[in-house]
Amino acid sequence: MYDTKYLFQRNEIWWVKVAVPRSLRDELGYDLRRSLHTRNLAEAREKRDRVVEELRQMIKESAAAESSGRACRESMVPDDENGFEILAREDFSDVTFLLEVDAPLMSKAAKPGQFVIVILHERGERIPLTIADFDADKGTISLVIQAVGKSTIEMQQRCRAGTHLHALVGPMGYPSELGAKKIVCVGGGLGVAPIFPQLRAFKESGAYVVGVVGFRSKELIFWEDKFEKYCDELIVCTDDGSVGLEGRVTLGLEMALKEHADVDRVIAIGPPIMMKACADTTLPYGVETIVSMNPIVVDGTGMCGGCRVSVGDEIKFACVDGPEFDAHKVNFDELMSRLGRYKDDESRALDDWKEMVS
Amino acid sequence: MAKKTIRTIPQKRAEMPVQDPVARAGNFEEVALGFSLEGALVESERCLVCPKPNCVPACPVNIDIPGFIVEISKKNYRGAYDILTESTLLPAICGRVCPQEDQCEGVCPVGETLEPVAIGRLERWIGDMAIANSWRNTPPIAPNGFKIGIVGSGPAGMACAADMAKAGCDVTVYEALHQAGGVLRYGIPEFRLPNEVLDAELENLKALGVKIECNVLVGRLFTIEQMLDELGFDAVFIGTGAGYPSFMGIQGESLNGVLSANELLTRCNLMGATQFPRYDTPLGLGKRVAVIGSGNTAMDALRVSLRADAEEVYCLYRRTRAESPARVEEVEHAEEEGVRFEWLTAPVEILADDNSNVRALRCQRMELGEPDDSGRRRPVPIEGSEYEFEVDTVVYAIGTNANPIIGQTSKIALNKWGYIEADDKLATSMAGVYAGGDIVTGAATVILAMGTGRQAARSMKSYLGIRDSSAVYQKPQENGEASIFGIDPTERAHVRVRVA
Repeated sequence: MYDTKYLFQRNEIWWVKVAVPRSLRDELGYDLRRSLHTRNLAEAREKRDRVVEELRQMIKESAAAESSGRACRESMVPDDENGFEILAREDFSDVTFLLEVDAPLMSKAAKPGQFVIVILHERGERIPLTIADFDADKGTISLVIQAVGKSTIEMQQRCRAGTHLHALVGPMGYPSELGAKKIVCVGGGLGVAPIFPQLRAFKESGAYVVGVVGFRSKELIFWEDKFEKYCDELIVCTDDGSVGLEGRVTLGLEMALKEHADVDRVIAIGPPIMMKACADTTLPYGVETIVSMNPIVVDGTGMCGGCRVSVGDEIKFACVDGPEFDAHKVNFDELMSRLGRYKDDESRALDDWKEMVS
Repeated sequence: MAKKTIRTIPQKRAEMPVQDPVARAGNFEEVALGFSLEGALVESERCLVCPKPNCVPACPVNIDIPGFIVEISKKNYRGAYDILTESTLLPAICGRVCPQEDQCEGVCPVGETLEPVAIGRLERWIGDMAIANSWRNTPPIAPNGFKIGIVGSGPAGMACAADMAKAGCDVTVYEALHQAGGVLRYGIPEFRLPNEVLDAELENLKALGVKIECNVLVGRLFTIEQMLDELGFDAVFIGTGAGYPSFMGIQGESLNGVLSANELLTRCNLMGATQFPRYDTPLGLGKRVAVIGSGNTAMDALRVSLRADAEEVYCLYRRTRAESPARVEEVEHAEEEGVRFEWLTAPVEILADDNSNVRALRCQRMELGEPDDSGRRRPVPIEGSEYEFEVDTVVYAIGTNANPIIGQTSKIALNKWGYIEADDKLATSMAGVYAGGDIVTGAATVILAMGTGRQAARSMKSYLGIRDSSAVYQKPQENGEASIFGIDPTERAHVRVRVA
């Protein structure tokens, strides 16, 4: 029997034919064919193997391009050009960065203590972020973001001046109540930026402002000039002691309280564990202490109730009843437990996404 | 043609195909597939075309029901659509989500001896046909210079926006979420109301010149007062709904695994959580889910849970099936799909495991006592009937309250429950500001919200001095120019126009 594998004859000329896998048929057709320019079967057999190999190589390359293209399309949701434009970005550290977003109406409406919800792209989640600054003249608001989960790391990678946020809504929640005469404003970690508009507002309202801000080390400090400008006293704390006090913000807070017996309010913003520590610190001094809640939020308009916080005997929705509450009444343990509700899902999302983009 | 009587009409309702219960419990495709052409024609024959129909006044927007059904039986489907759109903006939606058994179908005389005419299914059939054929009834609009702001893009806002736009006003709808539609988007799941249907109806609204702005939280971004004083709106309609979920106040409600039906539905319908991690929002539903309550929202939550891979889904209700406020069809559908009902059961405590997750519910059996104010028999706990019921997720669907944001940020008067105080013309305490939908009535239905939206539009028109007609759309006359809302074109000169 003649060996005519991969071979067929057209007008007596021998050709090679290789089938294309189903997934690539849209692109390459049902099979790939090439003429061997010979009527002689023996000659055709000789040329055959090399040509088959070449055609197979073509299929392989095409398959690779297709799959990487698909992965790319999957992982990269396109930038939403009708969204909210990012005008500037500033990196404070390898995880913390600032976005200045074009939002003229919001820049006029925003008040200290309020938050916004952003969505990065059309498959994104709704992320609540406390407003770090607003400038009605420029028509912008600033957000400071820590890249810790899938969405925020993706923001860190994608957001540049000129790109867009799919959605930006706010300002949400009650603004901070002014009226204190001497106030200590404490910001740690994620809370350093959002404490800024508060202490600026208190300073402008005529209060005596003591700022306490905490960083891990000297290199991570940002906005020192802005804080200096609006604080009567500024206490910087670093974990490693590379600048200012060595230790946590509670150390600075304690110092401020000892020095000023007439402090009539403390505001603390930061991770729940830090706010809890601040509440414990001020309790013996009997000073009114306000904290800003950052629970899990879906809509931010009072609709889902995911942001329930126990304050005293009551259940409050942080989005519409807060986000600021009396620190001595907030159940922080419950808050921390509720913040961990999606921990497994979050790490799964992050792993999946990292695998996809790598 | 001989006069139709109860004996000559088709005795049985035409069958509407539905997706197989086993298959559909695993997908988000629509359950009720809608009439076939033959089915619709048979069903249309069942209408007796009463000279004084009961169904028309029973419809919150007074659709000429016999009128459109007769057109179907004459195979004039476009004509049927024209009649529907005289009264309703959203036939494809209302045909799906109206509680017809309490409205038009509930008073249909055919229903006294046979099953009533399937009015809702016929309405839906025409609505779907309109979407498939891109029918659109856009009346000629003469701009009158008035600027109207609508707060909330749910059914009340959509209905009000449509009427005001048709009257010639420049209408802007503000929506706080990133997609329009309100409860039709975040609340009602795709298997009951596909997103394409809602999108098509929103396109109809935009074709009238209505502008829809998402991501605007009225009250916080700007207030109602600012809309009137600074943004140049002549009148404002508030339809912010009653979306604030209730909890019972029992022990353990702050545990992980306890959530409101609104949260569950919003995660799924609006945020795509069933496609996590392709979409970023997680769902976080367990394997054994208990939904508390037995209204339509509870049914949606139950059926979404089934489709989102929960293994066992239970409905806990303190009364019986007869008192269940959900549409009969929804309860039946849920049951067919595998939801298990625990009637006469109320939770008394939610129990935790070591990690503050839900481990079980402590429940109590109930029996029915004397009727209460609502006329339903009051559930009374049975002594010593408490037992533990193992679940890992508890979903509350026991009702919602007024959304508080407008109340927090404006001087508009509220009643003691936080709903906006409105008179019978739906005017609020602030001149030029009207309100409708759940934020006035308390949690109700889509069609009622639409009805109040349209009523508020009428009041706004009379407040602004714009000529009104009850028709949404009137067909162009056979020989002559189209009339605008029943107004003779030559009369246009009398229509009041805003003086700049």
